[in-house]
Amino acid sequence: MGMDYAKCAKEIFETVGGRENLVSAAHCATRLRLVTSDNNRVDMKKLEAIDGVKGVFSNNGQLQLIIGTGTVNKVYEEFLHISGMTAATKEEVKAAAAARQPLLKRMIKALGDVFVPILPAIVASGLMMGLVEALGKAIPAFAGSDWYGILDLMANTAFTFLPILIAISATRVFGGNIFLGAVIGMIMIHPNLINAWSVGSMDAAEILVWHLFGFPIRQVGYQGHVIPVVIAIWLMCRLEKWLHQHVPEMIDLFVTPLCTVLATAFLTLGIIGPAFSLAENYVLSFAAWIITVGYGIGAMLMGALYPLTVVCGIHHMYNVIEAGMLSAADGLNIWMPIASAANFAQGAACLAVGLKARNAKTKAVAIPSALSAALGITEPAIFGVNLRFIKPLICGIIGGAAGALLGSVFHIGATSYGVTGIPGFLITLDYTLQYAIILAVAFGISFILTWFTWKEEGSEETGKDKVKAIERALFAPVKGNVIPRQDIPDETFASGVLGDGVGIVPEVGEVLAPFDGVISSTTDTCHAVGITGPGEMEVLIHVGVDTVNMKGDGFTLFVSEGEQVKAGQKLIAFDMAKIKAAGYSPVTAVLLTNSDDFPNFQTVKSGQTDALEKLFTV
Amino acid sequence: MQKFSYVIKDEVGIHARPAGLLVKEAKKYESKIQIVKDAKSVEASKLMALMGLGVKCGDTVEVVVEGSDEDAAFEGIQTFFENNL
Repeated sequence: MGMDYAKCAKEIFETVGGRENLVSAAHCATRLRLVTSDNNRVDMKKLEAIDGVKGVFSNNGQLQLIIGTGTVNKVYEEFLHISGMTAATKEEVKAAAAARQPLLKRMIKALGDVFVPILPAIVASGLMMGLVEALGKAIPAFAGSDWYGILDLMANTAFTFLPILIAISATRVFGGNIFLGAVIGMIMIHPNLINAWSVGSMDAAEILVWHLFGFPIRQVGYQGHVIPVVIAIWLMCRLEKWLHQHVPEMIDLFVTPLCTVLATAFLTLGIIGPAFSLAENYVLSFAAWIITVGYGIGAMLMGALYPLTVVCGIHHMYNVIEAGMLSAADGLNIWMPIASAANFAQGAACLAVGLKARNAKTKAVAIPSALSAALGITEPAIFGVNLRFIKPLICGIIGGAAGALLGSVFHIGATSYGVTGIPGFLITLDYTLQYAIILAVAFGISFILTWFTWKEEGSEETGKDKVKAIERALFAPVKGNVIPRQDIPDETFASGVLGDGVGIVPEVGEVLAPFDGVISSTTDTCHAVGITGPGEMEVLIHVGVDTVNMKGDGFTLFVSEGEQVKAGQKLIAFDMAKIKAAGYSPVTAVLLTNSDDFPNFQTVKSGQTDALEKLFTV
Repeated sequence: MQKFSYVIKDEVGIHARPAGLLVKEAKKYESKIQIVKDAKSVEASKLMALMGLGVKCGDTVEVVVEGSDEDAAFEGIQTFFENNL
């Protein structure tokens, strides 16, 4: 049977939506594997009907067309030819599919994006809270003092109002009006609602309930919550966008915000919230049960799960369990060592990230977050660092589980609750040594695992810091009259978009190397050259304005890309008469294109200059 | 990671001025933005490297965006290409 490969390929190509909908293509023994940017645009039925295609299905974001052994490669070749794509390996196809596939990963990323901007606030509060609480435990007199009162207020503000911070940040991430987002956050912690932190210690009968449409809505706030807020805001942003598109412009200004807030608030308090508190109760009963599982297995599991419950914002409910334990006969809080090991391990993982990271931002976030976790406040470490990179979170979970197991084996417990980590020593006075061992084990395992398994992505920006101190300079590449950058008769150069520098009105048609360096770019039109010199200075020397249009006429280039050059070596010769005849300005731009990286950049020459006089220092 | 292909329509290709504007746009985002041409790939925030690619009119480049704000970056860069290149 003579199959028309080209026709088959062409029909596939058209049916999947053409080149613009194609990300990559590969084939295996029998199937053509395509990744499209939007699978919904593909008409599967039509695809199946194509002569030569024996079956079509979509798997993990990949579109797979069964074509058959021996024919698939021919169709594939034709397909590449028609689409103008290059051959992708199967791995590439898989990678492209993965990038836009797993929802969980995208959700975690969104959570990270929400949390990172508010980290400074919660790191500050986390540290303050840890210190204030520790001091309160250490010095009983301090706990009742005015100082404690005011410091405690300052410290817990960011956590008390966390939903507002999260709401604002999430609205920025999901694209809505941040003030409406803030309102949703505020509704969730309105003072008329019972503080979520107090609920644990209250009787169920004391909690007021609204009844709407037969729906009970508990009048409980969302202090300390993260996920319900993010979900609420995500919903709000979708709603707001939809309303903006569908509400007539005339009434959009008041209808859209009103409906957005009202609908979101009802959904939040009526559905999202109750669903979460239901889930919380289950988690709580589960947690209370699991730690009774013997041989330390239950404690180990709880140690592992603990950080995940922090992610969901359920951990503040655990006070109930701890209080219950303390009021029991033996009065020993065996929950606390589990929580403490889990928290401390997350801190250790975060610290490992902080010490290993080269990226200054990651470092700056990770180290104080780790410190805060050591004091028992883990949100900054978990949300700001560990969850974003995932691996540290898992390493921390392993370390935490090990520590929790040990705690159960030693059978130690605390005599109070409310603090973990280092301040936890204060409430485990009977078991100081064992407690220290637990923390050390949790810390050690988590730190070492993270250190060896976590690798920073794109850790290339290493050299920059070393480049300092030594005086580096650039020497005039052209003889002539130096004019300020702003006076270069070309908007782009003058604006500084291409970096800081000067213009030189040339007197001699010769460009010399301004320092010892490497030619980093040349153009076919020979009128510009890029050169990288000492301290990674990247300099662009561009002869004349708009001279690109002369297409090389009148220019001679003496060097090629990648060539090593010495200061003073001739790079370009140009014919000034020709430039003028062509109607262009011969002003030569000498620009340090990465001047942003050189805060001490200075032009030290103005007016008349000879070639190779000192022009810039950085 | 997100990417798109683009055929350069600007007569002078990615030369000094458009390159400078592209760098400026790319620096707005935290995401790593790479321009790929003929298996050579450079960061869009590095002017020299970008010019070194020697992208001319009619060339096809692939733009790969990856990082924390990639949705915004992707959109911004794509719009930039359509408007300027």
